[in-house]
Amino acid sequence: MASIWNISVLLLLVFGAANAESNVNQEAKKPIQTFRPYNVAHRGACGEIPEETAAAYHRAIEIGADFIETDILASKDGQLVCFHDVTLDDTTDVKNRTEFSDRKRTYEVQGVNVTGYFVVDFTLEELKSLKVKQRFSFRDQQYNGKYSIITFEEYITIALYADRTVGIYPEIKNPVHINEHVKWTNGKKFEDIFVETLQKYGYKGTYLSESWLKQPVFIQSFAPTSLIYISNKTDSPKVFLIDDVSIPTQDTNQSYAEITSDGYFSYISQYVVGIGPWKDTIVRPQDNYLTTPTDLVARAHAHNLQVHPYTFRNENSYLHFNFHQDPYQEYDYWINQIGVDGLFTDFTGSLHLYQEHTSPYPKDIKTSDDLLRKIEYIISKYERA
Amino acid sequence: MASSGWYVVSVILFIQLFLARVRGARSYYPLSSGSYNHAKQPLQTFRPYNIAHRGSNGEIPEETVAAYLRAIEEGADFIETDILSSKDGVLICFHDVILDLTTDVGNYTKFANRKRTYEVQGQNITGYFVVDFTLEELKSLRVKQRYPFRDQQYNWKFSIITFEEFISVGLEAERTVGIYPEIKNPVFINQHVKWANGKRFEDIFVETLKKYGYKGSYMSRDWLKQPLFIQSFAPTSLIYISKLTDSPKILLIDDVTMPTQDTNQSYWEITSDSYLQFIRNYVVGIGPWKDTIVPAVNNYLTTPTDLVARAHAHNLQVHPYTYRNENLFLHFDFHQDPYAEYTYWIHKIGVDGLFTDFMGSLHMVPGMDLSSEGCKECGCFIKDNFWHDLSI
Repeated sequence: MASIWNISVLLLLVFGAANAESNVNQEAKKPIQTFRPYNVAHRGACGEIPEETAAAYHRAIEIGADFIETDILASKDGQLVCFHDVTLDDTTDVKNRTEFSDRKRTYEVQGVNVTGYFVVDFTLEELKSLKVKQRFSFRDQQYNGKYSIITFEEYITIALYADRTVGIYPEIKNPVHINEHVKWTNGKKFEDIFVETLQKYGYKGTYLSESWLKQPVFIQSFAPTSLIYISNKTDSPKVFLIDDVSIPTQDTNQSYAEITSDGYFSYISQYVVGIGPWKDTIVRPQDNYLTTPTDLVARAHAHNLQVHPYTFRNENSYLHFNFHQDPYQEYDYWINQIGVDGLFTDFTGSLHLYQEHTSPYPKDIKTSDDLLRKIEYIISKYERA
Repeated sequence: MASSGWYVVSVILFIQLFLARVRGARSYYPLSSGSYNHAKQPLQTFRPYNIAHRGSNGEIPEETVAAYLRAIEEGADFIETDILSSKDGVLICFHDVILDLTTDVGNYTKFANRKRTYEVQGQNITGYFVVDFTLEELKSLRVKQRYPFRDQQYNWKFSIITFEEFISVGLEAERTVGIYPEIKNPVFINQHVKWANGKRFEDIFVETLKKYGYKGSYMSRDWLKQPLFIQSFAPTSLIYISKLTDSPKILLIDDVTMPTQDTNQSYWEITSDSYLQFIRNYVVGIGPWKDTIVPAVNNYLTTPTDLVARAHAHNLQVHPYTYRNENLFLHFDFHQDPYAEYTYWIHKIGVDGLFTDFMGSLHMVPGMDLSSEGCKECGCFIKDNFWHDLSI
């Protein structure tokens, strides 16, 4: 009797442990493309559906994203969640919840006093009870109140269960603020839990390694020390985000000029594979017209750093007049004139259509993958619906 | 013999001079190319027409030479305009009956006393009316971009142009570019402007076209050399000119609440099968407002009406207006992507022409550029399969 019990427990443990990791077979899936700039669905398909929800991520995958992107913060009880703002005011119904009416606070975040309902003051259960809404009033409001905030793990699961290889692109967001307000046991920090979560689901391997190609990931952050800190915990590729020219780094208080200097690029390229700048700092606009591009991309490339600018949006209020209110002309400029390696877009469907039309397969067939992709393109015209 | 030869020559010369004087009554614009008919790349006719609505007014103030040149550069099949008349009976390209919204007329103290209130299509409108200004006065004004969210950098640089100047832009293009002028507000114009010999607005309109050699029914050789559609919201104007010219005509159809300005007929009447059958004797197509073809509720498309199907059943083309890139004009089905809208209308609804403010974008829709081939798979003109997959 005891031995049967022991065996059952053993079997349960084995299956239980296996279920905690990625037991989804990633082998037979259509691989991620690597011959043209990455289509990064910024906060999911947030042009159509409220940002960072399961629905927004599923939609992004449906319409062709290479990577789904998210911002990771922590709840009061240390659970990692997908949410962009440190406060819940702009994209949830927290202000309508009487049970939370006493939670409003003012904290200093990156040198600025911010007032609102802070994510770090709510437990996961409380965050889950909220409903999210579309951030921008000029976008589709029909999904407001339908969806909830999701956890980092739920987000990862969405990517792993896609029927083709979809990469993830999570951000270690506001780590200084998070580590001030949230404590974990054993002296662990936000960055530790972040990496542990990724490793639990089998994310590992350097850029373009076999492991990476099965489960692509970029870890992004505005805080260089966070990226350096995790560099000996994971070999997954990291991307250093760069804010506007007037904003210093939150952890090291370094200026834009300093962190984009050649000296800094030499240094940081030991830890990251690329940078993610705000696109208006690469090519600065004046009177809503582009001026001469800076040399930022050229210098980044000279240091073997990829460039993934943010953020591309279809609405004409975001398009400089050179593009004649045509988002595809903006994609064309950044991909073909500036030569970026990835694009964060709120409209992953439009970018996908643009790329499929202008570069459906690699021009120089170098690898068997490239050849297969060209064959797939040719065959796809004859597929029955 | 020699003297009779000289006589013949001098008679011919005399007649030529005489004709030149008659022609010279209005300025004649000789073309630098010397001839209209040298071998130009022909108009495409195998896919829907790209119609540059008021020129490329998404980029440049509407109905200016610059806007039309830009549209031609971007691949327009047709450049479109609205014809009104000045006080002294000269036909000009201008959309509104008043000058207030797109010119600097308000800045001129000499025109300060020109403000009027007139009834136009049953509504009282106050402003500086085109019909109260001579051509010279209109030419002294400067135009601006109508929409504040579009590029303002060309404001006050350009002037209003005449119908003849517009025609010259079309004829001077290096490839065959058609023109698509509208007999605009004819009821109003004929009330306020009189021409000699009892002629009406419509007469002068057609005479201008004929002066530049526009003739021939749709797809005739003459037409293909100088393509033309004459458009109007007023059916009686189109019927009236049908005796004067065989050039193809298009009946424009306004929103469902707007009756025709001349016959006071409702939308429902003029889109009925019997009316379509009647008007087919005079026009080759209709130009409806696109939101009446596929109505939108809460900024989402609802089920398309059968207007296009019925029009096609009567052998009438459908050229809806107006396609604009800005997201405030795009229904949510299109996810703020103007290409999704173009593809829907071209491929799903199957229209025969599109009036667009953004020729640059329409031209780049796969299959809508100048050098496209047909899609062999399904027989439609869209080349790439990917565009079939738009899940709208």
